[in-house]
Amino acid sequence: MESMLGVVVAKYNYWLYVVLMMIGFYAMIGKRNLVKKLLGMNIFQTAIILFFVSMGAKRGGGIPILDKEAALAGAVKVAEVVNPLPHVLMLTAIVVSVSVTGVALAVMQRIYKEYGTLEEDEILDKIGRS
Amino acid sequence: MKTLALLATILTGAILLYGTADFAPWGDPQSPPNRHLSTYYIEQAVKETHVPNLVTAVLGDYRGYDTMFELVVIYCAGMGVVAVLRRSDS
Repeated sequence: MESMLGVVVAKYNYWLYVVLMMIGFYAMIGKRNLVKKLLGMNIFQTAIILFFVSMGAKRGGGIPILDKEAALAGAVKVAEVVNPLPHVLMLTAIVVSVSVTGVALAVMQRIYKEYGTLEEDEILDKIGRS
Repeated sequence: MKTLALLATILTGAILLYGTADFAPWGDPQSPPNRHLSTYYIEQAVKETHVPNLVTAVLGDYRGYDTMFELVVIYCAGMGVVAVLRRSDS
């Protein structure tokens, strides 16, 4: 039991990302409202971003903005600067996330104009009847 | 339907948590993602690009094309929104 707790504390960032991701996942597949599904997808993407950024963390590491003179002289210690690559990749992911959210909201607005509702089962009913 | 979704969620979460057993502990400077490629950028990026902010150096110099074509993504999304929301006369 002691070792189990140790494992959880040493990797609590992964537990947090799994919990967040499963909240988003449940909202995506369990809810019927389209806006709630979209919110779930955004939570899911945020969990991925948290996962990547937390992988690049280093205990005792500073921000990845270096002193230029020290860096040119080669005096930068790698262990004292956090990993900048996950941050860069997640900037790309944020761009994609914003684009997807925008298009999804536009499609939802169109669906609401057409069917007068954003509930999935009501929309399916209306499609089946016509 | 809701119970099925909850079951799928719990199952997926359990598999993901099982997968985290092989990951490196949090904040470990010697973990695999911190050891291989990023050391090169931290040591050489300022010498090669003269940008003190490493995130900006990688985003704007090493991955410049990627950043440029992100504009295409945004543009396509904007065109999609316009096409979906445009008032049609028919």
